Amino acid sequence: MGKFFILNNLQVKSTVKKLLQNRVLFLLLLIFIIFLFAGIAYDTFVTENNIKTVISNMSIDAIVTIGMMILLISGVFDLSVGSVLGFSAAINAVLIERAGFNPVLSIIIAVVSCICIGIFNGVVIAKIGVNHLIVGLAMLGVVRGVVMLIVGAGITRLPDSFLVIADSSFLKWKLPIWYLVIIAAIFSILLRKTVFFRRYYYIGGNEKAAALSGINVVTMRVISYAISAGLAGISGIFLSSRLAAAIPTLGSGLELRAITACILGGASLNGGYGNVLGAVLGTLFMGLINNLMIVSRASISWQRIVISGILLLAVTLDAVIKKSGVD
Amino acid sequence: MDSNTNVNTSITRRILQSRSAFLGIIIVALSIAASFIFDAFSTMLNLKSFLLNLSCNSIVAIGMMILLISGAFDLSVGSVFGLAGCIAGNLMFYHQANWILSVFIALIVCIGIGALNGTLISKVGVDPLVATLAMMGLVRGFALIIGGTGIIGLPDGFLKIADSKLLHMRIPIWYMIVIIIIFTFLVSKVVFFRKYYYIGVNEKAANLTGINVVKMRIISFMIASGLAAVAGIILTSRLTVALSSSGEGLELRVITACILGGASLSGGKGSVMGAVMGTIFVALINNLMIIAKVGSYWQSVVIGSILLIAVTADAVLNKSRAE
Amino acid sequence: MRTYDIYHTSCYLDADMQKKPYIAFHGITKTFPGVKALDDISFDISAGEVHAIVGENGAGKSTLINVVAGNYHPDSGHLEINGDQVRIRNYAEALDMGISVVYQERSLVPNLSVAENIFADRQPRTLLGFINKKKMCEETEKICESIKLEVQPNTLVGSLIPAKQQMVEIAKALSNESELLILDEPTATITEKETEVLFRVIKELKRRGICVIYISHRLLEILEIADRVTVLKDGKYVGTHNISDVKIGDIVKMMVGRDLYTEKYKPSYEKDIVLKVKGLSSKRFFNINFFLKKGEILGFAGLAGSGRTEVARGIIGADSINNGEIYLFNKLVDIKNPEVAIGYGIGYLPEDRKEQGLFLNMAVSNNIVSGSLQIVSKRHIIKEKEITIIANKLKERLNIVCPNVMTRVEQLSGGNQQKVVFAKWLLVDPKILIVDEPTRGVDVGTKSEIYKIIRELSSSGTSIIIISSDLPEILSICDRIYVMHNKRITGELTRNEATEEKIMHYASGIN
Repeated sequence: MGKFFILNNLQVKSTVKKLLQNRVLFLLLLIFIIFLFAGIAYDTFVTENNIKTVISNMSIDAIVTIGMMILLISGVFDLSVGSVLGFSAAINAVLIERAGFNPVLSIIIAVVSCICIGIFNGVVIAKIGVNHLIVGLAMLGVVRGVVMLIVGAGITRLPDSFLVIADSSFLKWKLPIWYLVIIAAIFSILLRKTVFFRRYYYIGGNEKAAALSGINVVTMRVISYAISAGLAGISGIFLSSRLAAAIPTLGSGLELRAITACILGGASLNGGYGNVLGAVLGTLFMGLINNLMIVSRASISWQRIVISGILLLAVTLDAVIKKSGVD
Repeated sequence: MDSNTNVNTSITRRILQSRSAFLGIIIVALSIAASFIFDAFSTMLNLKSFLLNLSCNSIVAIGMMILLISGAFDLSVGSVFGLAGCIAGNLMFYHQANWILSVFIALIVCIGIGALNGTLISKVGVDPLVATLAMMGLVRGFALIIGGTGIIGLPDGFLKIADSKLLHMRIPIWYMIVIIIIFTFLVSKVVFFRKYYYIGVNEKAANLTGINVVKMRIISFMIASGLAAVAGIILTSRLTVALSSSGEGLELRVITACILGGASLSGGKGSVMGAVMGTIFVALINNLMIIAKVGSYWQSVVIGSILLIAVTADAVLNKSRAE
Repeated sequence: MRTYDIYHTSCYLDADMQKKPYIAFHGITKTFPGVKALDDISFDISAGEVHAIVGENGAGKSTLINVVAGNYHPDSGHLEINGDQVRIRNYAEALDMGISVVYQERSLVPNLSVAENIFADRQPRTLLGFINKKKMCEETEKICESIKLEVQPNTLVGSLIPAKQQMVEIAKALSNESELLILDEPTATITEKETEVLFRVIKELKRRGICVIYISHRLLEILEIADRVTVLKDGKYVGTHNISDVKIGDIVKMMVGRDLYTEKYKPSYEKDIVLKVKGLSSKRFFNINFFLKKGEILGFAGLAGSGRTEVARGIIGADSINNGEIYLFNKLVDIKNPEVAIGYGIGYLPEDRKEQGLFLNMAVSNNIVSGSLQIVSKRHIIKEKEITIIANKLKERLNIVCPNVMTRVEQLSGGNQQKVVFAKWLLVDPKILIVDEPTRGVDVGTKSEIYKIIRELSSSGTSIIIISSDLPEILSICDRIYVMHNKRITGELTRNEATEEKIMHYASGIN
């Protein structure tokens, strides 16, 4: 009886280990548990309306998270994406509202300027060699400052032609969700199946080796920063369309949420790990927790504590498992 | 300790290589220029308020600099800064506790948070960015709960911490000066702190050389949180109210000041004087912009740009030196 | 001289293969600030030839490889491939031309599979342009088969042992359909068996007409596998010879310009046992039992991966152990970490000095005092002048070549860097010093100096354990030798009993 018990214990340990290592499975399990628990405890949680709202809200965040995931796979991150999101919304709003531009044109200009910021970041980090944490930090402040200068107290009353972007529905789901689905599908295929995007895994795993294999690390990094900023720009457009306004604090704190979602989704700060599905699930998970706290009327401070606590738990568990594997 | 020092270089070269001296010169130059351009600048009032605002940030910066020297950093110092005041305030106001005891408990808790950070990062092996990021949110959340919307009505004894004057200067300035002197001495001359430089340059080699890296890292995080807590208490006393939002964004400002002051994110570089100079520089820029009636939005743009230019210049120079 | 019986007959060149040069160097010169790495190098290598390039550290071997690989561009001179002058602008171009390099440093990506590593950036594609995973795995299996490497194509490289990783590196180079394969110290971290396989593969490549450039410090191996050898010294070309025409002594003379200095042995140890290890076990080694006498120089021989470094790290507390006891001067001790070990008087000089032994961008003086800060301080306050004085003393004593003690250690040559590490430990003055590969990557001249240091230490009472894969080295200075194989101690030999054959015997696990 004792021997049987020990065997079981070991099996359990290794299954748990396997589960934790496959982050996607783990997240799915957690999400399932949340639904179970929340569904029983709170009636309002598992309603179609609520779930659709949650997914709709998180889909915009998720687009940015996908961009961040690509960066994390390659071993870096961008602390300025929140500010860039705000910047895109700001430029777009100013062009439409104050300069009377056609929405299509202003959107293009906004997103392109975000891509330019991304290219700038990439060049300074990869070509000149400045540490990415610092560049992100600096740009976070600079771009946010510029946003506030452009937008002042906020630009509201954006025209209906613009609001259509986020407000309409397709097959009963709001458009932003579809945008996410399309973007997630595209990038998932790109990262898994194309030689070009696969390079980010090489760069993240061993930059020197990647260079030796003929990969142009500088160019790849610049492109990844451009993509991340571009996705942030697109999200900014969607978000301000949904809110029908461009406020100065739009996107504040987004970078940390995106990094958290990526880490929950399986990324490692050292690079080389992660995928699009993980990014999306990580964001969904955080969105659900947020929603759960709102539904249960927990105060904002508790929301922050819970999300941070989960992140801390996740990475601590990760580190402990890694250590026990090595020793 | 500047590992770049080479005995055979000229004075100008040495100054350029010593980041503190370089910043010192710029600070003096800027101040002189400012005193001619803005009348409001060179008033005693401005100087005193400038030093006062500086005092808390510089104390936190010193703690951060020690971490950066050892190759780590802590994104939660801003939250700890706020938490300290909230814990003390809560104990004093809601529990009528003696102010000395309240301050003591606040300090102990914050130092404990530092110990937790240090343990997670160096013993368990969690990445410093994520660990302190998560801690930042956790601690800020607790500060919000403990401090609510703000705690006023703090006892006189506590308010005296920041309220008295000594030689015509408010006490917080003296606290800052004393802490600066003590830590400048410790970090540049004492064996214990010298080891942080070795840890920062090569942690594995330091470990094999007999330096107890785990223990030392935990202590460094405790020092950083401890200093942040001290600064938080001082600010709370000065403002006479405990705010749970105290210190929001402080960690980024302090890291900026330290990087400008010569620290490198990879470790092994920096000095207390550099942290102080960096903080003074950032504070000076802020002060100038306020006097020049530049909008506060411009402030983050300017500081961010300065940081960017400084590190880019550094990187470019390093590259040309290597090639 | 030891020979590998299995293939020693087929090693030498088929004399009537008409040799047209595949690659030729014409006056290649490359200067870096302060040093002329290559000075007018001219020689050629034929197709189907195994050509060894030897030289001390700093002789120019790495620079030459980098020129061929396109990482460096020569300041003057040119390369010819099959008679045509070529300019190789980067490694991608080199790969296109059929040139592959297997570097000393791992160029593998640990988080990706064996297949993805072998086909890095060259994954086979489907009609739509997407990666064809199935084909990639099939091709990987084929390549691994050809070098008898047993791995699943999907295994993450990070989970393989170093020896297998090196074989994957070689598989990667082979997958390129190269015409020229450059191997830089390929046997440094692989086992005897794998070396045999490697040599068989090299011979197969020869047969196919592929050119192999073989760089190694292990002259014995070169005599086994190479057809010709080129010697470089201080960036200059010394000469090229057929292997059949030279002996080891000749090669060494060309490399250093002097005869190999054989150490004169002087027994110098007392009877007291200073260290006794009983039943030490961990995840990485099993049931280690040995003892060390005062002033003794004890050798730990064995092949790469046999577990010697792990045992050392276990003793000093850098890694954890599961079982066993350590007795210091007959007292049972519990060593939790290196700090405690040093407190007890045990020091460890690591295998990889750049990663684990030196503080590269710090001055020589700061490196030297890193383990003995209390000596240069009074009541915990550091005296900078003392640091310089002591550093200079040791610089003199060990003949460390550098402009002054303020120079950053990363600018020193490998041999001098190793001397700095020794200086550090001399200052710490432990009772027991474990030295792991004392002369790896160290030129022949400095090797003698290091042996002298070790002797001096032992005669002054320090007990020394030397971990080394260099058999002549172990045989010449050790009083006693333990041999490890596959994480266990398989033999113990006194100096008188020891021969290369016996050590190899134990090291290969033959009973």
